[in-house]
Amino acid sequence: MAEVKKSVESDNAEDILTKIENKSLKIESLIKQYKFIEAIKTALEGYPPRDERCKSANWIGVHKALMAIKDVEGMLRSLDPQYYDILMKYIYRGLSTGNRTTCDQCLKIHEKLTEKAGFGCILRSLADTVNTV
Amino acid sequence: MPFMTSPELLLNPVLICRNEAEKCLIETSINSLRISLKVKQADELENILAKKFLRFLSMRAEAFQVLRRKPVQGYDISFLITNYHCEELQKQKLIDFIVQFMEDIDKEISELKMSVSTRGRLVATEFLKQF
Repeated sequence: MAEVKKSVESDNAEDILTKIENKSLKIESLIKQYKFIEAIKTALEGYPPRDERCKSANWIGVHKALMAIKDVEGMLRSLDPQYYDILMKYIYRGLSTGNRTTCDQCLKIHEKLTEKAGFGCILRSLADTVNTV
Repeated sequence: MPFMTSPELLLNPVLICRNEAEKCLIETSINSLRISLKVKQADELENILAKKFLRFLSMRAEAFQVLRRKPVQGYDISFLITNYHCEELQKQKLIDFIVQFMEDIDKEISELKMSVSTRGRLVATEFLKQF
């Protein structure tokens, strides 16, 4: 029974990887059309995956969308509040990369997002050990 | 601090990097938190100065109360703040202290570097006068 469950899970991981790749292509095309807000919404949608490879693949898409944003205020204004928590988690992932441009952009967004969403958002990203990105 | 007995009491560690050289790791649990800093070290001299200066501070960790004697692996200095500290000391002042520390550390190391260079120049000038 455990073996069957494991093979089902790895199939799911493959499915999820393909879905994430399709999402990535969609995000890239949205960025090319200057639809940055749509791009970030697409990137943040969906439950963060469990598998490490899926998480990394998802992060690449989100990273592209985050780096393309120039107008942070506008982006946050049009983003639904339900996405604030997951955006904060991705921002902390970005800050941990150490890459200078990524960190600069992430720090900018972090400041504005904290103003909007408050400290609770930060604490939720710290405390949620189950749905990590 | 509940690290070895109950891993479920640990929260997600947060790593914040300003750039490739400077980073800050914050590890929290329900009763304490550990802040580790890696300061900017542009050249060999700054490397040595930073190490000596921060070792000087860490050796006197008791006086600071919230400082850790040994920095976390990969970092230059670590703070350990427990719930006991939050009861005795004011939380806002603690936060101000740590932020002030981070702001001052770069300044201190630059000043040390400048005084070393100045002293070196003076000594060399004096010594070479005899030739």
